[in-house]
This record gives sequence, structure tokens and C-alpha cells, in this order.
Amino acid sequence: MKIIKIKSWQMFTVFALVLLMFGTGYSQKEQWYGAFTYSVSIPSGDTKTFTDEISWRGVGLDYRYLIDRQYSIGLFFGWNVFYQRTDKTTEIENGAVTGTSDRYLNAFPIMANIHYYFGERKSIRPYVGLNAGGYYMLQRFEIGVAAWQEDQWQWGIAPEAGVVIPVEKDFGIMLNGKYNYAFTGEDVFGRDINNSYWQVNAGFVWEP
Amino acid sequence: MKRISFKMSRRTTLSLILLMIALAVVLYSCYPGEELTPADTDLVATFYDKEANFSTKLTYAIRDSVTRLDEDGNPVFETGPYDQQAISKIKTNLNQAGFTEVNDPAAADVIVITFANKSTWVSGGCYSWWYSWYYPYYGWCYPVYYTYETGTMLIVMLDAKATEQKNALWVAAINGILEDTSAGIATRINNSIDQAFEQSPYLYK
Repeated sequence: MKIIKIKSWQMFTVFALVLLMFGTGYSQKEQWYGAFTYSVSIPSGDTKTFTDEISWRGVGLDYRYLIDRQYSIGLFFGWNVFYQRTDKTTEIENGAVTGTSDRYLNAFPIMANIHYYFGERKSIRPYVGLNAGGYYMLQRFEIGVAAWQEDQWQWGIAPEAGVVIPVEKDFGIMLNGKYNYAFTGEDVFGRDINNSYWQVNAGFVWEP
Repeated sequence: MKRISFKMSRRTTLSLILLMIALAVVLYSCYPGEELTPADTDLVATFYDKEANFSTKLTYAIRDSVTRLDEDGNPVFETGPYDQQAISKIKTNLNQAGFTEVNDPAAADVIVITFANKSTWVSGGCYSWWYSWYYPYYGWCYPVYYTYETGTMLIVMLDAKATEQKNALWVAAINGILEDTSAGIATRINNSIDQAFEQSPYLYK
């Protein structure tokens, strides 16, 4: 039985460092802006087969650089926690298994992105964009007294559409939706899968 | 030396604080979950021979005791407090599935034998504080171990008419933690035996 736990404070440190780096000295004028969002995720496809419950635990951190009036390029980091306890019977090739199982999926998307904005700066701006990169996936399956875990990098993309609503000079609100899809990946039993999930994100943007 | 200063607006500071609070809440959710009761550890797995034709298997003979196995898998002659209850529950389910009990194993289509054993699981891991270049680097790791007793019951259905050595026609493996009250264990054994039959519809006539 393989048990690996990434200490939560490790991820915390990474997020904090990234934010501090961008949020302070590296920013220039108002070409940069950051966004912090709370995420609700709805699993689909193979992810739904594994954890068929909406994830209410998620955050995202965007950093975007405006290359002109309409376009930005940037980086996105996120964390979404999927969990389900189920006691359903699973059919296997020559039989069946019943037991209470705990299923965990921690998805950490790390992506580069490009966005196109409609409208003018300082106005309400709908946008569309594409995130490309991948996900660090921590997948864990526990049943009876046994556990299986598979931690891996999965390549993927996430098309996105949203809106930025300015509130004050350097502060605003962001709403967006994303579809996350991983091209590669294996489940805890080594079977090929494609994790995917829909996402609704809401948060705030700031211009340093 | 040139002094480098970072100017942070109040808004940015506020954002940082909010972010820290939000993350602190979410970060505790890496492995959310609920406590497991002993019954939650119960596992029922059934396997069958896909080539077997269960509709022609009408009679069974059952060994009226549970065969215990030691750690090496050898039989030991002991009886347990739940043996008769388990045998009787298996019989009830076999009868409900349409089998008829016969006393003479030579006259039966299938023979049912029940095995049981206990084993001690040692679980745990090395929870690293940081994944260093030399991972696993034990200097930064503290081991956590815990042990628990689990019981396993195997119900094996063999083809009495087989002329050569063959795999079992049907096997039910029931496993669970034994740290429970005796009434709790008794109920869980009954439920698990029922579940083993319920998830094996091909046994029913």
C-alpha cells in the first residue's frame, strides 16, 4: 500500500510565493492584472465515473499580461478537490466487488493562456480564451482496508469564457466558465482515462 | 547599495490576506472525508467461472464447519463464535437461489466449503515534510504506523462432478475489520453473506 501525502502547507507556500512575486515588485504599470477565483467544478466523463459529485472546494489564481487592447497572455494555477464516498457495487470482469469506497481527486491545473477581450478597457469586458498545459493529479481510491494511489502529470487544455467587471480603479470582479480536459492519464489501476470537468469560477481581479 | 522597495497598494494587501484565508480553508481539504465505522471497512468480492453453467447445478453439499487457515494458508482445527451462524446464512441463501441441500457430497452437483482467517494489517507511511532531491530523505520524515485485525471469510463453490483439477465455480471473499462488538460482527457477517449472493444473480435458478 502506497501512501503519499503532500503536505498542505507545501502547496500553500507555492501559491503564496507566486502571488507575492507577481503582486509586488515584478509588476509594471497596469499592463499586468491578477485574479483570484473560487471554483465550483462539475465532473464529466471519466472523472464523473470516479467521483460523481460536484466539487465545492476549489481556487484559481490567474496572472495576465495585456499585450495590446484586446489580448492578454498569462499563467493560471488552480486547485480542485473532488471527493465521493460510495458503497455501490462495481462489476469486474468475472465478478463484482461491494464495499464503501472513498475516492479522492486533487487536480492542480498549471497552464499558460491567451485571452481575447471584447469592449474597451475600464468597461465591462466579456472575454474568451484558451488555457493549455496540464494538471498534476493526485488520485486516490480506498476500499475496505486497502488503498491505491496514482499521482501524475496529465496534459490538457481548458477553453474559457467569462467577463471582467470593473468596480474601482484597480479592483474588479471576474466571472468565468471553463471546460477542463486532460488528453493523457491513467487511473489508480493503470487504465487509460481522460479526466474532464466543467467549472464555474467567481472572484476578484486587481491591478497592482 | 541601491535600496529596492516594493510598493503594495492597500487593495493588493487586502487581496493577499483574503487569498491566504481562502487558501488556508481549502488547503485542509486535500483529503476530505468522513470517519469510517467498522462496517464501512466491509468488502464483499465475488468471482465466478464464466464457463460454468449454473442452471445445471441443482444440489449442494456443504461442510458443516468453517475451516480456519493459519498465516501460511494451512488448515487449523479451531472453531469460531460466528461459524454456525455463517454456515446457516449461507444455506439460507443457497436455498433461496434454488439449490437443494443433500447430505452426501457424492450425490451433490456442487460442494460448498467455508474458510476463514484473521490477519493483522500494518499500515502507515512516511509523511514527508518536503520532497528533497534525495527523497525519500528520512531526516525530514516521520513514520506513522497503525495496526488492525481483519477477518476474511471465503465461501468456495466447487464442481462435485469435475474429473480434473479445476478452479472454483464461485468464490465469495468477505473482509472486514474485527474491532467491533460481537453483535456488530454478527450482523456484518450476515449482511456480507447476503450481499455476496445478491451481487451474483447468475447463481439463481
